Amino acid sequence: MTEKSSNTVGIRKRERKVLLTGLLFTSPWIIGFLIFQLYPVAASFYYSLTEYNLFKAPEWLGLRNYTELFRDEKFYLSMYNTLYITIVGVVPHLAYALVMALLLNTKVKGQSIYRTIYFLPTLVPAVAGSLLWMWLLNSQYGLINMGLSYIGITGPNWLIDPDWTKPSLVLMGFWGTGTITVMYLAALQDVPKMFYEAAEIDGASKWRQFWTVTFPFISPMTLFQLIMMLIASFQYFTEGMVFAEATQSTGGPENSLLFYSIYLYQQAFSFLDMGYASAMAWMLFMVVMFFAFIIFKTSAKWVYYGGDK
Amino acid sequence: MSVFKNKAFGMIASIVVTASLLAGCSSNESSTNNGATGKSAGKVEISFWHTYTDADADPIKKTVENFNQSQDRIKVKILGNQDPTKQLTAISGGAAPDVVLTYWDNVGPWADAGAILDLTDNIAKDEFDINTIIPAAMDRMKVNDKYYAMPFTMSIGSSLMYNKAAFKEAGITSPPETLEQLFDYAKQLTKRDDSGNISQIGFIPDYPWIDNVFWPVIFGGSWYDEATGKVTPNAEANVQAIAYQRSFYEEFGQSQIDKFKSGMGKRGTPQDPLLTGQLAMYIGWEYNFMQERTEDGPIGVADFPYPEAHPELKGSGMVSPRAVFIPTKAKHSEEAWEFIQYLMTTDTQIQFSLDGHVIPTIITALDDNRLLSEENKTMWTFYEKAKSENLNGFPNSPYISEYLQSLSEETEKALKGSLSPQEAMDNVADKIQPLVDKHS
Repeated sequence: MTEKSSNTVGIRKRERKVLLTGLLFTSPWIIGFLIFQLYPVAASFYYSLTEYNLFKAPEWLGLRNYTELFRDEKFYLSMYNTLYITIVGVVPHLAYALVMALLLNTKVKGQSIYRTIYFLPTLVPAVAGSLLWMWLLNSQYGLINMGLSYIGITGPNWLIDPDWTKPSLVLMGFWGTGTITVMYLAALQDVPKMFYEAAEIDGASKWRQFWTVTFPFISPMTLFQLIMMLIASFQYFTEGMVFAEATQSTGGPENSLLFYSIYLYQQAFSFLDMGYASAMAWMLFMVVMFFAFIIFKTSAKWVYYGGDK
Repeated sequence: MSVFKNKAFGMIASIVVTASLLAGCSSNESSTNNGATGKSAGKVEISFWHTYTDADADPIKKTVENFNQSQDRIKVKILGNQDPTKQLTAISGGAAPDVVLTYWDNVGPWADAGAILDLTDNIAKDEFDINTIIPAAMDRMKVNDKYYAMPFTMSIGSSLMYNKAAFKEAGITSPPETLEQLFDYAKQLTKRDDSGNISQIGFIPDYPWIDNVFWPVIFGGSWYDEATGKVTPNAEANVQAIAYQRSFYEEFGQSQIDKFKSGMGKRGTPQDPLLTGQLAMYIGWEYNFMQERTEDGPIGVADFPYPEAHPELKGSGMVSPRAVFIPTKAKHSEEAWEFIQYLMTTDTQIQFSLDGHVIPTIITALDDNRLLSEENKTMWTFYEKAKSENLNGFPNSPYISEYLQSLSEETEKALKGSLSPQEAMDNVADKIQPLVDKHS
């Protein structure tokens, strides 16, 4: 008994030493995390309950910033714009990236060249890419409307007509799907060949093979991409800001490009209402969590993890 | 054993890393105390942040150099290319610069937040005479009835710039005098191609941006009534200003103008629509077409037209100054004030105006012979315009950003015809009045 217990104490002592050493080694990260991540997050929650302008001491408001949000028509407008770009943008972009990945996965001559070319736009910085697209989308001289006119369609006034500004951004988004495609490519190459062979012997068509073999195997990747794109999309900022420059305004024509983060930025840095902006940030957090939660909940139905059952 | 050795080493290493990390956190504080803005060799070093990009920074650098050589107690260190967001971060943090040059409309919110030093005491102490400054510029520095900054330079929007060739082609011999003529000429200067699309347009009232200050100024409008404490965006003149702009859209067609506008070249480049003749006239500022607006250049400059019924409004225009201020957190506010006073002397103003081709804000400087140098000739007319008593600007206030934003949003609706000008401006009043009440 005694021998055993003293032994455990010894182990504990050693464990504690190891733990201490470990903590010491990770302390740069831990301290960094506490100061630069946990503290700002906690502080922003506190500020969201106050009126705070960066200079004067925060004034306690309780939940008033949040109730104010629900009365703010620009809150709804910016949320609508953001949901629009998320719902209309994410799924088509994802589907497009998958199709491209399937194409780039076929064994053809010059495969790596195609892959490189397709990936290249991803390397263009968001601002530069947006400026380039503003030229392509120019309703008078842009290549897109010029192309449309050849097939007898009068293209819309992409950047100035409030109905078309967001579709313009969605269109541009297809250009930057290189990263998603590359990750899909990696996932596609992980699908075991034997399943295709078996499916072929059973006489399954390519279409059938895709839905019963390929899609389930890459579904964890789809889930991952969906969540990441959802988060990125809710934080949509740069491209909207650049496109709005076409009308020399913050929110673009009739605020059709006033995305949630842009409105948040405006509240914080133009109106100096850090409390309200913090409340907006927390509201965004909750909305993103809500959507992520729904996706996770439904994922049990369509995501397949090889191995576990 | 080796584990222990490594452990000792590891501990030291992690302590070093941790310590340096923590040191990194406080480096701002210590460096400002010891180096950047501290005393060196008996001189007080102050830091001065401005907005000019590197390409435009030479005149301000020269001014600072001159100041540094003019005395031996203060040395100004200059840092350029600081946009308002960076400035805001700096003046709210622990290492605030001592003097900041910024756009005038930042002064209101920042002053109200307590970030800017009230200059009242300094002005009184040194008997600084603010009456020597162009009133329209100085008024922009006033927030809650106190002066928080000095207008180092100012821009004036009170001109109509036009393409001389387009005028000649349309048989127009002189620029429009009244707004009614402007509308008429705009029609004469607009051309359409065979399919009815606009190929050249006379005037677009909201090009290059929806101007929610310029237009009401031209119509003699106002935004705030001191006597009642009410905002007045829906005053008669303001509403007229919007209705006038709307009339261009009714004349030429919303989608037609929008479509044509999107195909115009970028302002300030060789493809500038006024230069290419796509657009025959636009609202001109002193920085537009410095090279092209010479006597035999392609661009003409005239006073902006006035409403026919109000000839007393002739020479109206909007003033947009750049302000210098001292942050509340500045460590050397006295030296900073001395530097600001230097910036506001007639000699400095003249030197800077010559180097930077800008308009001085000191009234007497406008008549100084030194400004009348031949190579500065395209600025002469703007020195005259700066003397106009009809110059005005938007009142600075804690809620100025919200007010201007709301004006832009509602004006846009009225220009597109989804609201009447009166409805749109009533909306602004409804939205902004609560902010005013909150601040008073």
